[in-house]
Amino acid sequence: MNALPTVLVIDDDQDFQASVKALLESNGCAVLSANSAKEGLRKLATERPDLILLDIMMEYSTDGYGVNQAVKYQDEYAACRNTPIIMVSSIQETPDERFPAAGEVDMIRPDYYLTKPLDIPKFLALVKRLVTREASHGAAG
Amino acid sequence: MAQQSTIVVIDDDYAMRISCYKILTKSGFDVKLFQDGAQGLEAVAQQAPDLVLVDLKMPGMTGMEVIARVHQIDPTIVIIVITGYATIDTAVEAIKSGAYDFLPKPFSPDQLRLIVDRGLELRHLALASQRAERERMLLKRRFITFVSHQLQAPLAAIHQYLEVLQQLDDGKAAVAQRREFMTNCLRRAEEMQSIIRDWLTLATVESEWLSQERVPVDLREIISDSVAAYQEMAQSESVTLQPELPRDSLLVSGDRNCLRVLLDNLIVNAIKYNRAGGRVTIAGELSGDEVTISVADTGIGIPEEHREMIFEEFFRVRGENAKPISGTGLGLAICKKIANEMGGIISVDSQVGVGSIFRVRLPAYSEKALAAKMDGGAV
Repeated sequence: MNALPTVLVIDDDQDFQASVKALLESNGCAVLSANSAKEGLRKLATERPDLILLDIMMEYSTDGYGVNQAVKYQDEYAACRNTPIIMVSSIQETPDERFPAAGEVDMIRPDYYLTKPLDIPKFLALVKRLVTREASHGAAG
Repeated sequence: MAQQSTIVVIDDDYAMRISCYKILTKSGFDVKLFQDGAQGLEAVAQQAPDLVLVDLKMPGMTGMEVIARVHQIDPTIVIIVITGYATIDTAVEAIKSGAYDFLPKPFSPDQLRLIVDRGLELRHLALASQRAERERMLLKRRFITFVSHQLQAPLAAIHQYLEVLQQLDDGKAAVAQRREFMTNCLRRAEEMQSIIRDWLTLATVESEWLSQERVPVDLREIISDSVAAYQEMAQSESVTLQPELPRDSLLVSGDRNCLRVLLDNLIVNAIKYNRAGGRVTIAGELSGDEVTISVADTGIGIPEEHREMIFEEFFRVRGENAKPISGTGLGLAICKKIANEMGGIISVDSQVGVGSIFRVRLPAYSEKALAAKMDGGAV
């Protein structure tokens, strides 16, 4: 049948990477890991995952916002434009709550926003829904 | 370069308005003319000018009223009053109400230009400090987000591990994974403990109780104790500790425990950010009324753009491909606090790939200076 759905996890916290990888793998996903925004974008372009799990705060800056912006707006990543992004952070407010007045918030608004630590049943249900949707899109296209 | 400054002139005297217009337009300003206070204020509200020239005596709204209303709109707009009946009293009253200066009629073009230029200088300063304040607030907010992220990261990682551990089945692979995850949880828990410990040290250094402890301390003893304490750590990292101490004492007045924490942090950093086979040189020197301690390593160095940041809480230098170095990101912030509390300063020189040298300069101990300080402190 089809290959396993692939999730790209972009997060600089090795431990978060490890636990989420184990969780996703035991639930039927293949997992790719990237430790920085830069590495994430590179893998995104070459590996074309079905779903992106994206941390906001990497190193000292909010690099995750940049990845979201690149995927949604930059021509280079046009092929991944419809790959769903789940933003994950220990920052409790969504970009809209953090920057209520900024016009640029459109650029960094993710498809989905979850906070760390993940609520596992909720997270798995969302992942399942998104990868199934991707699979049916792929079949149709 | 700078944006063109806008000046609003409010005067009921037509000839006056026209001559102001001619003189100021020639100087390159964008000049708007109004014959009464109501119209002038409307323009001020809409266009946010840099400076308002207003006649004090006009039919309808008076100049004094205009001053008050302009500053309600924006207190940084500079107001210069033109007084036809130049008694000192009215001019003083206008300045008390917030005008920047006054210009008695009749005036020469040069007088007008001079007073306007000075007024605009003030306005630009006010704007610049407003901008700086906004930037400061933004940075502060970003910093708070960053700190709360750093504080939560270890706990979030542990929490996530534990929840995933609950989900894992009892298969063989899971057993190995379980062991690995538990080891990682322990490591993150220890990290959290270090952060809390360092955070408390920072708080202690800040407390007033501590900053009043001032006894003569010989830094040679502190350095020797600290070097002895980290000899083992240095050996395990294949780094040599090399104290270079003078024969005479290095007396400063301060708190013994704090000074030890300062030295410990600098030495630990110099070991951690070193290379195998590297060296840490710890030297002290008395010159005049100042004692300088330096801790030099032969490590990865600090890129120039990071040098100011490293004394900030939670900032850490990470090499592109270097192995991660454990730490809380608070060590140098603690060092800086301690150095400052003891009346000294800390600085760094560094060359990427060659090494860094941290210097702490502290006032040398003297009975007289200490007595003066105590007197000052008692007031």
